[in-house]
Amino acid sequence: MTMDRRTVLGLGGAVAAGSLLAPGVYLVAAPKPPARTEVKAGRRWAMLIDVNRCSPDCRACTQACRTENNVPLFGDPERDIHWIRKVEIRDKSHKRPSITLPVLCNHCEHPPCKHVCPTAATFQRQDGLVLVDMHRCIGCRYCIIACPYKARSLVYHETHLPEGGNPKVPIRGKGVVEKCTFCVHRLDAGEEPACVEACNRDGDKGMIFGDLNDPESTIAKRVLEAKTTTIRPDLGLGPQVYYKGL
Amino acid sequence: MNSDFTAIEGRSPGYWQLVVVLGVVLAIGMGAFLAVEFLGHGITNMTNRVVWGLPHVFAISLLVMASGALNLGSMSTVFAAKQYKQFGRFSAYLAIALLSGGLMVLMLDLGRPDRMLLPMLHMNFSSMFTWNVFLYSGFFALCFLYLWSMFEYHQFTKVVGSAAFGWRLILTTGTGSIFGVVQARDVFHSAITGPTFVAFSLSSGTALSAILLILTYRHTHRELDKRLVFGLRNALIFFTLLVLYMLVVEKFTKFYSPAFFEVESWLLTGPYAWLYWGGVVFAGAVFPLAVLFLPKSGNSVDGVLLASASSVLGVFCFVGHVLIAGQSYPFDMFPGYEIVNSVFQDGVAASYSPGAVEISLGLGGVALSGLIYLLGIKFFRLLPEKAVVPKGWEVPWNP
Repeated sequence: MTMDRRTVLGLGGAVAAGSLLAPGVYLVAAPKPPARTEVKAGRRWAMLIDVNRCSPDCRACTQACRTENNVPLFGDPERDIHWIRKVEIRDKSHKRPSITLPVLCNHCEHPPCKHVCPTAATFQRQDGLVLVDMHRCIGCRYCIIACPYKARSLVYHETHLPEGGNPKVPIRGKGVVEKCTFCVHRLDAGEEPACVEACNRDGDKGMIFGDLNDPESTIAKRVLEAKTTTIRPDLGLGPQVYYKGL
Repeated sequence: MNSDFTAIEGRSPGYWQLVVVLGVVLAIGMGAFLAVEFLGHGITNMTNRVVWGLPHVFAISLLVMASGALNLGSMSTVFAAKQYKQFGRFSAYLAIALLSGGLMVLMLDLGRPDRMLLPMLHMNFSSMFTWNVFLYSGFFALCFLYLWSMFEYHQFTKVVGSAAFGWRLILTTGTGSIFGVVQARDVFHSAITGPTFVAFSLSSGTALSAILLILTYRHTHRELDKRLVFGLRNALIFFTLLVLYMLVVEKFTKFYSPAFFEVESWLLTGPYAWLYWGGVVFAGAVFPLAVLFLPKSGNSVDGVLLASASSVLGVFCFVGHVLIAGQSYPFDMFPGYEIVNSVFQDGVAASYSPGAVEISLGLGGVALSGLIYLLGIKFFRLLPEKAVVPKGWEVPWNP
């Protein structure tokens, strides 16, 4: 079969026009997805970390996170995935001793990762948790670019559930972006995140987790009473990980 | 003014050698894509600190040049420079070719390219990527309609060409804004990032058009009036001065603020300073301007060719610098503090050198654009047999 140039141009034009219109047509025609609901709507999960209690050598939180969430280590520092990591900092005048603190996803009130995600794979529950739908993530990495906390990682290699791994947390396929979930599976089961539990059990007892909207909760009282700050509050993102002593 | 539009014969060994070379490069690029698809991004040199590497540099450079390739069409359709009307078809077609190559690389470098249609199904209108899905597909459609109108329905050329002109300005602003809106990155976040991308698209698009026109006419032994090339030279001078203006304004504004002093000093003296000074400033602006302003080289077609090649190199360096230096610069997560220790190298500049996979995939996009162009001039009547100027028209200024 041969086609003259006019037909080729016509078909090409139709394809181009279709590519422009198809998304909109689909959007109108597609059934609306069911609204995301959650068990604990109305809550505002937050974390308070007392850096004065956090000792440089303690790794209770990072190890517990890795075990609980099957977070792989590839042996490559620039590609290893860290849902929570310890960072040691020192004031530039060197007048004060250095401070060690864990850094993790801040589950921001206005998460830039959610704003830039083209497929809405990153979403925010009504209780403030910022999560990633692994089946919708296309691996564009725009969220990694946009996160000021370096809290997100692309999965560079194939991963497998380790022996004795936690079956409640599915393994993420290569090519998607993952990050801390505040242990959503534990929260929805009425438990604390693994890092907080480990810190208070095996570590320095410097982490508090709870519902900031509940005025009777320990974290709400402590955030109200103690002088706390967040990382880069100037960005206006409303991070939900508070630090005391920073 | 216009002679008949004819397709080139495309039977010479040289033509087919070029097609085969580009085909092989494209095939290698596809091989690189398949390797990443099956083995993961672990086989690239990208990391969790530099997540957008060389493929993005190629992709975005091609997209920026795609927008700029429409300059020749816009000159006649929007700005009534009738002497360039004869290149309208070439212009719109080249824009489509470059867009295709750029988008191919962009989509094949996704972590999950098998899900590349998801942005069409689940849209998030606060994302610049989502806006760019519309901007790119719309630009594709408008270029096609523009091309079609120039072939068949001349009465619509003005309307469609004007729409395409407006669209390409928004499109390139949108491309630049992918970076400009990112508050977290000191290097990216600026209102002038989008307009600077527009300036680079104007210069590099004009430069690439000049290169392809000169080489196509030269190797097909067709007649191309030198005055048309010199008219493009003048446009390239103006657009390159615009680039320089944008760069100076940005640096001046940022250096004026102590808050940006550290990052700007790092950019101009740090590990990627060579890319900025050598690639962006020298290749992208100073060298082309010097060549074009000097009477001997500025009044020679080969001089315009040389300056244009440098300008095209400049856009790659500009995008490369924005991307790689922008990601490498360490986050200032704790203002007033310095980072002593971190398992994720917080506070330390990242480094990135592209691997074979990234180079192959990026060049594959260039090869696809090149192939589309080569096949286009063989199978469609895109270029006039003789490109001449209207009677009485002279180049307004010569060096």
